[in-house]
Parts: sequence; C-alpha cells; structure tokens
Amino acid sequence: MWLSIARFGLELSPDLAVLVVLALGVVVAGEAVVEGQVRLSLSSVLLLGGQALVGPSAAGMIGVLLGLLQVRGAPAHVRLFNAALGCSYATLGGLAFMAVGGDADLGLDRSVWSIVAHLALPILVADLVQLSVNLLLLAGVVRVTYGVPIRHQVGELLGSVGLTNAGYGVIAFLLVLLWVPAGMGAAAVLLVVAPLLVAQWAYRQHAEELRGQERALQVLVAAVEAKAPHLTGHSARVADLAAAMGEALGLRPHTVADVRMAGMLHDVGQTSLPTALVRSVASTSPAIDDYPRRSAGILGGLSFLDGALAPITDHRTALDRPDARAGLASRIVGLADEYDLLCEVGGPDGDVTARSDALEQLRARPGVDDALLRALLVALGRSSAAATR
Amino acid sequence: MAAGLVVTSLVLSGAELPTLLGTHAVTLVVFLGSIVIGELVRLRMPSGRDTAPLASASALALAVVGPIQDQPVFQVGPGLVVLVVAMGLALAAGARRLRHLPVSVAPLAARLLGVALTASMVRQWSVAGWSLWEDQTRSDIPRGVVAVGMALAAAVGLVVELLLVATVRAERQRTPWTTATRDELGEAAPLTFAVAVTGPMVALMSPILGLLALPVALVPLVMAYSAVGQYARNRATNRQLIATLSRLTEEGGYTPSRHAERVSDLSVRVGRVLGLGERELRDIEYAALLHDLGQISLTDPIPDGATVLAAPSDQRDIAAEGARIIRRAESLDAVARYVELQTTPYRRVRELGEEVPMGSRIIKCTNAFDDLTGGSDEPAAVEAAIERIHLGLGYEYDPDVVDALTRVVEDATAGRVGERRLVSR
Repeated sequence: MWLSIARFGLELSPDLAVLVVLALGVVVAGEAVVEGQVRLSLSSVLLLGGQALVGPSAAGMIGVLLGLLQVRGAPAHVRLFNAALGCSYATLGGLAFMAVGGDADLGLDRSVWSIVAHLALPILVADLVQLSVNLLLLAGVVRVTYGVPIRHQVGELLGSVGLTNAGYGVIAFLLVLLWVPAGMGAAAVLLVVAPLLVAQWAYRQHAEELRGQERALQVLVAAVEAKAPHLTGHSARVADLAAAMGEALGLRPHTVADVRMAGMLHDVGQTSLPTALVRSVASTSPAIDDYPRRSAGILGGLSFLDGALAPITDHRTALDRPDARAGLASRIVGLADEYDLLCEVGGPDGDVTARSDALEQLRARPGVDDALLRALLVALGRSSAAATR
Repeated sequence: MAAGLVVTSLVLSGAELPTLLGTHAVTLVVFLGSIVIGELVRLRMPSGRDTAPLASASALALAVVGPIQDQPVFQVGPGLVVLVVAMGLALAAGARRLRHLPVSVAPLAARLLGVALTASMVRQWSVAGWSLWEDQTRSDIPRGVVAVGMALAAAVGLVVELLLVATVRAERQRTPWTTATRDELGEAAPLTFAVAVTGPMVALMSPILGLLALPVALVPLVMAYSAVGQYARNRATNRQLIATLSRLTEEGGYTPSRHAERVSDLSVRVGRVLGLGERELRDIEYAALLHDLGQISLTDPIPDGATVLAAPSDQRDIAAEGARIIRRAESLDAVARYVELQTTPYRRVRELGEEVPMGSRIIKCTNAFDDLTGGSDEPAAVEAAIERIHLGLGYEYDPDVVDALTRVVEDATAGRVGERRLVSR
C-alpha cells in the first residue's frame, strides 16, 4: 500500500505545504452561501489544482482536511462523513487526471496543443469525475435517509451547479498553468485568488441583500397589521399553510415559493382602503371585495413577484368558481385564507368556527375539490405536529 | 488632456503605426475586440455609476503583454497601447450612441490616462537599466516578482483613473472632494483588485498559451463580474420594494402621488452634497421613502397628506407609528430612527443638546419643501417654499441642511451620480 502511495507521489513538498495553508485559509474564510447554496466553492478549485500539482493522494489528504474542518459546529459523525466524501472525490479526480495523461510539468513540448492535451483536458476530466463522485455519494445518502430517487436529485443538482463547475475547472487550469509551466510557483496563488475573493465578497453582499428583501416584506406585512390589527399573524399563517399545501400537492419548489409569497402579501391591498372600513366591518363583508385588485396594483411593478400576482388577484373569487376555472395556486391561497379567517381570525366579535364545521363549509364551495381539501388536511396536520414538537 | 494624450501618442508613435497594423494585426484585433465587448457589457454599481471591468482588464493586459506564442513579441511603445485602447473606447462609444445609450467622455478620458500611466511605467521606466516589460523575458528574475510589479503598475493606473473620475464628479455635483474620492474608491475597490491581476496573468501565460491567454485569464474576472452584477440587481429590486411600500399611503389617498419618491430623491442629493457616505445615504433613501408610512393607520387622512401643516403632536404620532411598523423588520433600526425623529425641530438640538441624526434633519427639511411646493418646480413656488423654510432657519431646520437644499434646488446636477438615476417603475 505504501508503495502505491509513493507511486502516486505523496511527498512533503513545499507545494503541498502551500496548498495545506490555502486549505486552512478556505476553512477560516468560509464559502459564500446564498439561499443555502454554495455559489463559489474555493475548496473545489483548490482540490482540482491540487490533483494536478501534488497528485491524487495528497489531494485526497487535503480533501480530508477540508471535510473535517469546513462545516462549523457540525457533529463528529457529519465531519467524518464529509472527510470521507472529500477524500474520495479528490483522490478519484486526481487518478482520473493521471489516467488521461495529465501532467503539470510539460517539459520541452510547449505548444498550445500540448497544453490542451496534457493540462486543460485532464483537468476538465478530473473536474467532471470530482463533481459526479460528489453528487452520486451525496444523492446516495439522501436516497438512504429520505428515499428520494437518485436520478431526480442528480438531475436537479447538475442543473444548478454545472456551469459554475466548468468555471472551477478553468480557474484550476489557470492556477496550474501559472504555477508550473509559466514558472511562477506558489506566487500564482496571489494572482488567481484575487478575483475569486471579489466574487465571494459580492456573493456575501448578495446574500445580505436577500435578507434585506425579507425585511422589507416584513415591513409590508407589518403595515397591513397596523391598518387591520385583527389580522395580526394572519398573513404569516396563510403563507405557511399555502406553502405546505403546495408541497403536499407536489408543486415545483419555485411555484411553492410563489404560493408562499402570495399568501404573505394577499391582503396588502387593504392598506389602501379607508381605515374605518377595514376595521369596522367583518372581514367577509362585500364592501372590501375590491382589495385583491388593489394588492395586485400596488405590487405590480416588482418583477420577483410576477408568479405571485395571479393568486393574489384571484384568491378571493377562486373558491366560488367551478374547479378548473381559477388556477391551482389561486385556489390554494384562497382556501388557506378562508380557512384561517374562519378558524383563527374569526368574526367581528372574535368568535371562531370549529375546524370540522369550517372544513364542511369550505367543501361546499364549487372551487374546492377532494385533492385540495386533502392537501389542506395534510398541511394542518404538519403545522400542528410542528406546534407540539 | 486626454485628447492631448491621444495626439501626442499619434505624433510620437506615428512611425510605429504601420508595424502595429502589419505585424501585430491578430493581437490588435483580439485585444480591440475584447475592449469593445467589455465596454458594451458594463456593470451598473448599486450607487448608479457604471464600470467596465472587462474592458479595463483587457486594456491593462495590452499595456503589459510581451511575448505571445505563435505571434510576434508585442514590443511597442506606450503610445501605441494608448492608441489601441482609445480606438476601442471610441468604437464602443459609437456603438452605444447608435443604441441610444448615454455616452460620457470624462470617465473614458480618465480610463485612457490611467492606461497610459500603467503602460509607461511598465514599458519605459527602468530599474537598474531594465524596464519591467523587459524583465518578463529574463530568466534571472523570479516570475512572482514580475507579476507583482505588473499588478502594482496596473493598480496605480486604476487608482489614478478613479481619482480623476472623483475629481470630475466633485466638481460637477458639488460634492466634497474627499467624499467623492472615498465613494469612488470604496465601491470600486474590490473590482479594481480583481482587474489589476488580470494583466500579469495574461502576460505570463501568453508565451505558452498564445492569444488564448486573454479569454482564459478573463474567466475569474467574469465570475466576479457576474457576482457583482447579481448583487447590484438585487439592490435595485430592494429599492423598488421599498418604493412600493411608499406607495401604500398614496394608493390610500393619504399622501399626494410621488411625494415620497421626490422627498427621497431630494434627501439623497442633499445628503451627498453634505458629504455623507453611501451606507448612510441608503438608509436616508429608505427612511425618506417611508417617512409617511405612519399615516396608514390614521382614521381620517390629513388634508393633501401635508404633514408640515399638521399639528406638531399629530406629526409626532405619525412618525412614531411609522417607526413602529418599520421596527417590525429586524435590523432596519437606523431607518426607523430617522423616521421617528424626522419631526424634531432643530432648536432642540441647539438648546437641549438632543441627538438628532442628520438623516432626520434632512428629511424634515426636504419633506417640508415638497409639501410646500406640492411637487411643482415652478420658480415662484420653489422660491416661496425656500423663503418659508428660511423663516424657520435655526429654529425648525438645521442651517447646513437648508444651505445644501438651496444648492440642490438651484442646480439640477448637484448631488447626482451617474448618467441616469435608477428610477423605480
């Protein structure tokens, strides 16, 4: 075994020392995460470069190091799994690099063609291998734990990381080319890392802006609740209920997000009605039937809400039309809204309807079918489970 | 000045022109194309100013590049580099004109001067008899040293460019020079960092990779560019969202149409003339957009929504209610505070030593101005409003803010950034 490791070149070279220091730097700096997804993985670039510069076993070692240290505050078994995962894909990527004839030291043959054949293509192959091993192992774990088929996950993950991963390949190629053939040595890191740090900085700002968006939406909801104190908490409940119904009905994540947003903002139009009207009448009075149209008017200019506008406009009438007429999203938000008004908000004197009565009442509406009602029950079951947990 | 530079370059290196067009034709086309494309895909930064990192990087790479695999060594004087870059910028400016996009000459001239400086530093200044450009072909100098030297030269060029732009801006918008410089350097610093290293990357790779080195070296910069672009677009979306919030009171008939937009625009410009930083300006922009939000829960609307004419206690209630609503969102505290204190008269600062943030003082003043003019820019209405505000000088309003406001309403360019302002909707 030692023999084979020696053959794949595990020696304590200064290059390896530099890469280890870099790995520690990546651990300290952390990756840029936007909406729960790593946008620019410095460790992927580092491992790809390492496979070409110091060989598969040393790259595997760096993979272990990153896996052990990278996720802060993770329990030991997660760290161990990450280390094994990092070690496997880094080593296999490095072996693939060697297998297709990759060699960072080009010797005397320095034509463009030899660069492509001995460096660019092998790094690309290593990139693909590293990505696939990573995805397959991760998807395997999710398959075992949650029962989601591997094929579904890999398709989805590939779509979201494919292009960025090609970018990692190019950057690793740049790093290796400057390091060995161009004769810069470890100083190559100085040049290559600068733009990556900038991109990381920008992604952090981006994540910060997304939180800002969240905050502004909270203000919007707070404005509704200042106008209509009896609706306090209603928007958030309808948003959660509608999203859970969407998931129960198997809608795509994007549509679920739209439905959640529509649930959150469906009452915004009420802010433009006279305060006395909003506060004095029961929330089912026809006098305020105009508000969904007003909501859509206020929110119409915001491109990120495009998918939520239809359910916001139609949610109040969707349940009174025969099923197929109104869109599914509108009926989901409509049903969640009506249910919450009956069972949580209550009438003018604050009396709420019992759940079974409300469900019976709602089932009689022309826009409500069995599937929709079942989704509501699943969603309610989930929220009460969450409450007792 | 830049025109003079182009003419001088023409005169000095006119003799080299045929060499350029003949020997270096391929190199020329590749770099020229990259500069033009980079200029056409500009990036609008959150503050509204444009940058063209890909064009800058290509121009600076041309300034330092030497041996190129499969091509003759790019051994030319800095004059020729300047000519090529000027050509690229002119072509791109022409293309922008054709597409009816705004073209402003000052930043392009600054860019040209910056590139000229870098090119002469690398190609002409010699240390111990060798210029940095010559060093890249010597085997006894470590590559790392050459690369760092080139990156430093590029950084000097970029910083000079930014300083020139800041000076022009300070002049035009009557912003204090230090603020303009701080803003330019602050916002551009990260991208400048990434642009400066592209040149040495190209120079060190091109002996092996040929002209392919340029597109390959631009890949990390493109990643940085796209990340910054996403962030800037998101900033714009967020501003739109806050502007939507400001329309809640308009839709309900509490405040006149576009009042909040106008107050926000004025407040930011006044703040800029007063020399406030970008972060503070953003909070002021948001607070100004939301300053009437508290009216939303009023049972009876104030006539014309003009808070300046309402009773002081009503004004305070509205401000407090607005701040309460804004505080429901975490970490918009600064904005809420500006809204809350927007009614405090200046005399309480002077006499009682109360701490009223500059943002609140500005909004108090600009809000009064817009209430009094009703959004009209008729000279008579503006003059009457300014006169009325002057009556409350030092008592109601901070004299410095009133000064800045007067300058802003007199001069339509004062306190503005970029060629167009980002307008919501």
